[in-house]
Amino acid sequence: MDIKEIREILKVLERFEILDFSLQEGDTRIHVRRGGRGGESDQGLSGRSLAREVLTVTPHSELPVTAPEPEGSLVVGEKQFLVTSPIVGTFYRAPSPESPAFVEVGSQVSKGSVLCIVEAMKIMNEIESEVGGKVAGILVENAQPVEYGQPLFIIDLV
Amino acid sequence: MTFMKLFSKVLVANRGEIALRVIRACRELGIRSVAVFSDADREALHTRFADESICIGPANSKLSYLNIPSIISAAEVSDCEAIHPGYGFLAENPEFSEVCEASGITFIGPRSDHLRLMGNKIQARNLAKRAGVPVIEGGLEGMSDPEEALELAKQVGFPVIIKAAAGGGGRGIRVVHSEASFRAAFSMAQSEAGSSFNNPEVYVERFIEAPRHVEIQILADEKGNVIHLGERDCSIQRRYQKLIEESPSPAVSPALRKEMGNSAVALAREAGYVNAGTVEFLLDSDGRFYFMEMNTRIQVEHPVTEMVTGIDLVKEQIRISAGHPLGIKQEDVRVTGHAIECRINAEDPDNHRPSPGTITFYYAPGGPGIRVDSAAYESYYIPPHYDSMVAKLIAHGRDRDEALARMQRALEEFVIEGVKTTIPLHQRILRTLRFRQGEYSTNFIESLKG
Repeated sequence: MDIKEIREILKVLERFEILDFSLQEGDTRIHVRRGGRGGESDQGLSGRSLAREVLTVTPHSELPVTAPEPEGSLVVGEKQFLVTSPIVGTFYRAPSPESPAFVEVGSQVSKGSVLCIVEAMKIMNEIESEVGGKVAGILVENAQPVEYGQPLFIIDLV
Repeated sequence: MTFMKLFSKVLVANRGEIALRVIRACRELGIRSVAVFSDADREALHTRFADESICIGPANSKLSYLNIPSIISAAEVSDCEAIHPGYGFLAENPEFSEVCEASGITFIGPRSDHLRLMGNKIQARNLAKRAGVPVIEGGLEGMSDPEEALELAKQVGFPVIIKAAAGGGGRGIRVVHSEASFRAAFSMAQSEAGSSFNNPEVYVERFIEAPRHVEIQILADEKGNVIHLGERDCSIQRRYQKLIEESPSPAVSPALRKEMGNSAVALAREAGYVNAGTVEFLLDSDGRFYFMEMNTRIQVEHPVTEMVTGIDLVKEQIRISAGHPLGIKQEDVRVTGHAIECRINAEDPDNHRPSPGTITFYYAPGGPGIRVDSAAYESYYIPPHYDSMVAKLIAHGRDRDEALARMQRALEEFVIEGVKTTIPLHQRILRTLRFRQGEYSTNFIESLKG
């Protein structure tokens, strides 16, 4: 499956407002969830290209790889701030598997609040919020690889 | 023979045509490839052609293609077993190779101690001497006292050349023609070396006027087998940057080839070197050759050797790093016909400045004996952040005349619009009588200007 086919699928999902979709084709599995929180309304998110926000493609090796995020595909509103990953690594929502997540959708954050961890080369890098506001969207699932510049959170500026 | 496994997944820590070259080798070997790319290379071919690709940083290469933690992290999240560094960027960086080793990732190239040894030109000179390889008369240790250096310069006789121990690729070099200007040149060379390479060590050797630059490709495995694949003549250079390379060299006889080949093999053996490497020699007008330096990477001009020997050097690098013994013996290496390579750069022919921009029309030549290694395509934007090479055009023929005719024909067919390129310069060189007769040295481009 190539990126073109995935784009076609996303277009169809968007047109028919399908929120959750899985497809298996040979060794390739694709799972798309629109809206970020399993069927909740698109609260706090503007723009129509949300379909891309939780997209994981499992290739032959069965290893999860995040599809590259074309620039400008995620549109945030004027009063929103998009937090992107400053490094390539593994995204963790909590400091340890037993601990609660740093933030949930709806959490109030201030400038400097820790939002998540991106692990690179066995080093846990705490990613802090550059702005104060309310978490409106979490765009990556726990323990998924993220690349440089990949959108992680949407924050409603207050 | 026991079954030996290759890697299942390799990360390519480079961009442009060499990243594509490695991805192609991986695909042919059934290895999955992972490209890393900067923000400026989202639309680049290596990003598109690899099985997976990961953005590792912004356009500035210090924060992306030279960013060791990001590249290692990308290899870890994508479960790569090995990293191919290509050429340039981190290819000859011993720290990078060490971090790979410490992270349990195979660095496809020589060990870090060999990168470090060959990165120091004084140590490399000493090694060559121990291996019985001819070196140019001069110092075998770094010098800091100008008076001591002047004594040595007088011994070897002017003109002399002052080189930085940590230099290479033509950087940090000063030619001194007389005693009067020696002291000033020496202190300038020292401070230049200190600021450019973080190492003020310099050394002095006799300057050879108008030599040819002839290099020997070697392959060495972990079992101690070392072979050479003949020479490449890289004398057509501008400001120490190679423009045209060919194999065989018009100046190397079968006897000389054997002698230079044996010297290169002896050097690699003395060092215990493993993987692909190139031993560079200067060849003077009397047919004497001298060790210059060893390059511990795959080189830009490697296709020239591939075309005449039929050996895929990048695949050999991967096999060697996976622990395979060399499948080729020295007596099996056959040089067939003649190959020549022109480096097509995006640059303004008037001022030699890079000419970045969007390629509005692109047609790559083909037909018998033509190979194009390029990451360019129509509508591709050549970013200003990286080097200006757009394509390598390689022509192979049953002899030099046929290779030259094919190259001229292919240069005429090659269409790159939207940016200025060195195609007209190559056409000019190929029409020159001295080049056609194979009678040229490293001062060829200088003499062309007149």
